[in-house]
Amino acid sequence: RFLPHSPRCRVLSIQSHVVRGYVGNKSATFPLQVLGFEVDSINSVQFSNHTGYAHWKGQVLTADELNVLYEGIKLNKVNHYDYILTGYSRDTSFLETVVDIIQELKKANPSLVYVCDPVMGDHGAMYVPENLLPVYRDKVVPLADILTPNQFEAELLTGRKVNTQEDAFEVMDLLHKMGPETVVLTSSDLPSKKGDQFLVALGSQKIDGSKTSQKICMDIPKVDAVFVGTGDLFAAMLLAWTHHHPKDLKAACEKTVSVMHHVIKRTITYANEMAGPGKRPSPAQLELRMVQSKADIENPAIVVEAKVLHKSSQ
Amino acid sequence: MECRVLSIQSHVVRGYVGNKSASFPLQVLGFEVDSINSVQFSNHTGYSHWKGQVLTADELHVLYEGIKLNNVHQYDYVLTGYTRDTSFLEMVVDIVQELKRANPNLVYVCDPVLGDHGSMYVPQNLYPVYKNKVVPVADIITPNQFEAELLTGKNISTEKDAVEVMDLLHAMGPDTVVITSSDLPSRLGDRFLVSLGSQRQVRPDGSRATQRVRIEVPKVDAVFVGTGDLFAAMLLAWTHHYPNDLKMACEKTFSVMHHVIQRTISYAHELAGPGRRPSPPQLELRMVQSKADIEDPAIVTEATVIS
Repeated sequence: RFLPHSPRCRVLSIQSHVVRGYVGNKSATFPLQVLGFEVDSINSVQFSNHTGYAHWKGQVLTADELNVLYEGIKLNKVNHYDYILTGYSRDTSFLETVVDIIQELKKANPSLVYVCDPVMGDHGAMYVPENLLPVYRDKVVPLADILTPNQFEAELLTGRKVNTQEDAFEVMDLLHKMGPETVVLTSSDLPSKKGDQFLVALGSQKIDGSKTSQKICMDIPKVDAVFVGTGDLFAAMLLAWTHHHPKDLKAACEKTVSVMHHVIKRTITYANEMAGPGKRPSPAQLELRMVQSKADIENPAIVVEAKVLHKSSQ
Repeated sequence: MECRVLSIQSHVVRGYVGNKSASFPLQVLGFEVDSINSVQFSNHTGYSHWKGQVLTADELHVLYEGIKLNNVHQYDYVLTGYTRDTSFLEMVVDIVQELKRANPNLVYVCDPVLGDHGSMYVPQNLYPVYKNKVVPVADIITPNQFEAELLTGKNISTEKDAVEVMDLLHAMGPDTVVITSSDLPSRLGDRFLVSLGSQRQVRPDGSRATQRVRIEVPKVDAVFVGTGDLFAAMLLAWTHHYPNDLKMACEKTFSVMHHVIQRTISYAHELAGPGRRPSPPQLELRMVQSKADIEDPAIVTEATVIS
């Protein structure tokens, strides 16, 4: 199955670190390591916990400090990576330094795959500073190879609204034109054929650098809880499963979404247990049951089927 | 198993020392690991170059405050290792004391990193802090011979000396002491070094006893970094599973070390090529590749009960 000792498995992940809980690098690192990837991690911040708790405290890394860390790696001539992974960022100069680093790493290894979660907002509102949008649109996304926007972020990046599946296809094709060969719309408002307990996710992958792409669609069970860190886990697992299925987005997405399902179910069950009957679980109780989900991460039972939709030309 | 560890150690972007060395193996064994990164460096300081930033004692305190304000400062274990700063170390002591008040059953696993082979490689003013403040609140310590001698003021020339030094360390605080390496001659010859362990236990009938063990450990012809951090983390894990059986806990711990080191050496030599000494990047522990050995280590080192 998956070969853990393959030489092409070193990831540079530049994300947040929290002392307690699972977001950013805490969410991405363990699952990738469990799947045999070497993970080098630059912590963009160190906070006590994620910002959904009642309180949070900590320190942020500046763009200069990020550069210094990268310099150390470069001076030792170990700046060779197969993948880069980035997520939530609040600072334009930090993001621009990340872009510079990625450009340099791509020169060092032209086969490098940049997996980018363009975190900007959700449900119609931005939750990062507005001035990040032009940086993502003009500098970051053009470098990305795999992109995991939600519907709102896809609309922001392309300037187009998604009201129908056709709109979603056009938006993903526009995103392909901007850079990434693989785009996954991780969630949308589109109505699911399975009813309102499900949300629709879509994926699109360019076929062999041609003008055609494979489009897939998944109906994902909704969950009645607010999770933090799930997007970070998603991007990390999409990295892992597209590595194993580079030309089969259907297989990669089925594994990725299935892992998410198992981790989330385990988490909800535990959270409700901890909270007690009739009480809503707290952010602390809703932390992903990551360590307890190791077996599902290693070998996810497939619980979601992705449908291949008609292949379209751009 | 619902077991939460607070590990306060270094973070390196690349490689396996400090928290990078401790977290993955503990997580793989099912422990929840909360980690405070005392520094963030590009890589460990054995490479030609290293760059990064350190956390101050104040910043450490701020992070702990965040945990406390959310009322989630309940831990079963605290784990610490290499530190260079006395005020940082003193803040760690304050935190451990407060966490012990919140959970009196908390176990503090401390690697009192001071030096090796007869010389200190941290600032000298850390020594009194370890001796007077840190070791007294520790429950498990993993000094090497030099550190054990430094902390007790007594030299180790024979096994009897080692037993006395471990008893002196018990009297300072920790019920479990493992001298991770020594110059004592091994009965298996000069390709082996001797490690020793001692644990104060309470028998089922309420009486007290001390279990002492000796382990013959194969020497390796390479300098590894991060192995001490892995050792302390795995001793935490295996004493958790065998709280009254130091022999078993040591056999598991030393066996894991052996598997990881063997895998690392083989790979390093492959990368370096015949007749060439591997470089620090090539010698990074093959941690991720050793997952199966971490989960279920085949026992390859036997511990002898010595009294």
